[in-house]
Amino acid sequence: MIELDQVSLALGSFLLNDISLTIGRGDYYFIVGPSGAGKTVILEAIAGLHRPNRGRILLRGDEITALPPEKRGVGLVYQDFSLFPHMDVIDNVGYGLRVRGMRRPDARREVAGLLDEFGIAHLASRYPGTLSGGEKQRVALARAIAVKPDILLLDEPLSALDPVTQERFILDLQRLNREDGLTIVQVSHSRREVRLLATRMAVIIDGCLMEEGDAGVVLNAPRSQEVASFVGIENILDGVVVRREGRYAVVDTSGLILRAVTDADVGEPVTLCIQSDDITPGISGGGPDLIAGTVVRIVENGPIAEVRVDCGVELAVAMTRRAARDLCLASGTPVTLSIEAEAIHVIRG
Amino acid sequence: MEMKAGAPSSDKGRRRAERRGWYTDRCILWFCIMGSMIVGITVLALANIALTELADPVHLFEVAASSEVIGSILLTFGAGANAVLILVLFGTPLAYVLARSRPSRLKGIVESIVDVPLILPHTVAGLLVYLLFMRRGWLGAPLSEIGLSFEDAYPGTVVAMLFVASPFFINTMREGFEKVPIHLENVARTLGAGTFTMFCTVTLPLSLRHMFNGAIFAWGRAIGEFAAVIMIAYYPFIISTLIYYSFATEGIRTSRSIALVVIVVSLGVFYLLRRLTRYLGRYDDRA
Repeated sequence: MIELDQVSLALGSFLLNDISLTIGRGDYYFIVGPSGAGKTVILEAIAGLHRPNRGRILLRGDEITALPPEKRGVGLVYQDFSLFPHMDVIDNVGYGLRVRGMRRPDARREVAGLLDEFGIAHLASRYPGTLSGGEKQRVALARAIAVKPDILLLDEPLSALDPVTQERFILDLQRLNREDGLTIVQVSHSRREVRLLATRMAVIIDGCLMEEGDAGVVLNAPRSQEVASFVGIENILDGVVVRREGRYAVVDTSGLILRAVTDADVGEPVTLCIQSDDITPGISGGGPDLIAGTVVRIVENGPIAEVRVDCGVELAVAMTRRAARDLCLASGTPVTLSIEAEAIHVIRG
Repeated sequence: MEMKAGAPSSDKGRRRAERRGWYTDRCILWFCIMGSMIVGITVLALANIALTELADPVHLFEVAASSEVIGSILLTFGAGANAVLILVLFGTPLAYVLARSRPSRLKGIVESIVDVPLILPHTVAGLLVYLLFMRRGWLGAPLSEIGLSFEDAYPGTVVAMLFVASPFFINTMREGFEKVPIHLENVARTLGAGTFTMFCTVTLPLSLRHMFNGAIFAWGRAIGEFAAVIMIAYYPFIISTLIYYSFATEGIRTSRSIALVVIVVSLGVFYLLRRLTRYLGRYDDRA
């Protein structure tokens, strides 16, 4: 649906370098990366607010690189909501319809239904300065949707909301994408949002595209150590293949020997990526695939406990808080860990 | 103001004062004393002229009611308003471009040119205007061909006021535009507004308070101008020229009366404008 073809864009000292993305119709596409990576610049380039120095932007196969923002059919919602402070809610939501030539009474009638849909009809005559963060966000979303955009661009829309409002907003976004079929491109640096919503994603670091593809693949089988680290794989271990056992390679990671599925040859350096919830803990026992270690510390985060275990290298193990209590885990407790070879993602080279 | 003068200085006294809710911040107290000296000079000057003039109300009334004074005040205020109107029309686009353009050498040069009238002695500003708009001037010559004369004429007064007042309007307006978040403009564009529509429906309404303040500053500066105006348009008499002329020909008494009339009228007009626009730029339905 929308394609960025080798887009480069300089803004002061910042350079967006040779970005190529393909966003399909109905995708919930995430652009993720650390702060200052250039995510918002990409979003604004799609919206037509920055003109690339090089490269092309295509919408449904037609080049729109030089098309002004008002002719692109995109809706944009910023993190700071960006509601017009001098207009009440109904005029904010109806702004797009009015500037497109719709008469005020018609625009108000059209907008009334939208306000109902987003549960903000009671705010119609309120000014943005008096709204809560969640209310502002709903108004901003309704305003963007009012003009029936082909693509909805969201710039970190959840970061300024409290957790309860975030959950409600996520449901709204899921409805728009899955039920209404709206193509959404969202900028975020939240891994949680990506896991909840993304169908496809791109990882941008320092203005460069590190990886693009199906969200499940990028999250679970990243192609580089930087991406693995950014998408939140907790255990990233450098090692060398010391021998092969059929389809498995045995990898020495500075003291810890692990089996993984890879074609890497003996002597080849590899990076092993292990999600913390792919490691199964136990109190005792032994065997060839079991790893003995000692609990270093336990960090509880809601219902989840992250247990750090020293096995020669320190591994992060995720389990429910209840499971940690049942196993009587505490700092200094000896544990054994098992890791399925198939659960280990290997990055070669 | 929370702070009050004359609070006790000992710890015990201070605690007692705090309990009563009138603890004095000494730093702020000194700031107030120092600041009041500036305010005091203005108040003293106003009181001085007012008390002297009110001692002879008949003369004051005669002067205030004279057609010469009324005509001159109307001319001054009218020419000032005319200059501001031209500034609003032509200065607003310039201010917007300066607010939204990225820093560059050209931008720096344009900003410096805008500020030129601020740094020049008023006589020099007047001379610049005169040389440009006199009958043989670069602009004055072609404009006089089509019947627009500036020397000793109303257009000359307006153009001199426009020149000296322009930085006040343009700089205030530029600050106003800079305070409008660019995200609002971006969103307006993606919603379908072209640049001009976006400017008229979002940027300008959100800068109205700055526009008004800039216009007030510029108008105040314009009606107070003397040196630059007399260089090109000694006639018709604007109020500053009339006061100077009266002082030179009739002495202090009449010029002082005219001055008090001008002070009262100016303060009245400024107060009225401030009252009329006090809610400008406030968008809160709880208020």
